[in-house]
Amino acid sequence: MNSEQVMQDVNKIFIDVLDNEAIVLSRETTAADVEDWDSLNHIQLVVGIEKHFKVKFTSQEIRSWKNVGEMCDALANSLRAISA
Amino acid sequence: MKLGDRFTQDFEITKVVYHGFIEIFRDRNELHTDGAFARAKGFQSEVMHGNILNGFLSYFVGECLPIRNVIIHSQEIKFAKPVYMGDRLKLQAEISGIFDSVGALEFKFQFQNESGTNVAKGRLQVGVLS
Repeated sequence: MNSEQVMQDVNKIFIDVLDNEAIVLSRETTAADVEDWDSLNHIQLVVGIEKHFKVKFTSQEIRSWKNVGEMCDALANSLRAISA
Repeated sequence: MKLGDRFTQDFEITKVVYHGFIEIFRDRNELHTDGAFARAKGFQSEVMHGNILNGFLSYFVGECLPIRNVIIHSQEIKFAKPVYMGDRLKLQAEISGIFDSVGALEFKFQFQNESGTNVAKGRLQVGVLS
């Protein structure tokens, strides 16, 4: 699964968690660009992503992401590591 | 706490709980307050408010877990069977997910009545405050 495929699944998780069908993520998207992406919803998003992809992040990893693109890259790397 | 840890807590639907719920939330729907109405709809007597069980869950999270610095993030519950006055319920909860990255725990839970019937089940997510 590459970053683009990961992004598609992540987009669906955002739509579901934030209950907003209009969300279209790009690599440059940040919390400031998405309505309701606040600290509490951020937790739900991370939990949703970890459950969906069956991966575990660390709090340091999460804090290091500057945008959705970096999150999807980290996710794709984790998935590659799992399948290798 | 670790994945698979289990917790149990006993509760009882008492008159104090029932009348307190009605007093506070004012849901006096006939199903909950009129025995004849409830029996006509196929129930054995007044059906207790399902959301009383959500109150029990609040107590479980706030008072029964081995940590105090907790907050409920989300809660889902499905009511499978009616609950009646005087029912004694056993809450069984199990940690079904740990999300260290965001300090969250997920529990699967079920409420069983005295005859062992599952009357409700669901999931709740608890945040551990730093």
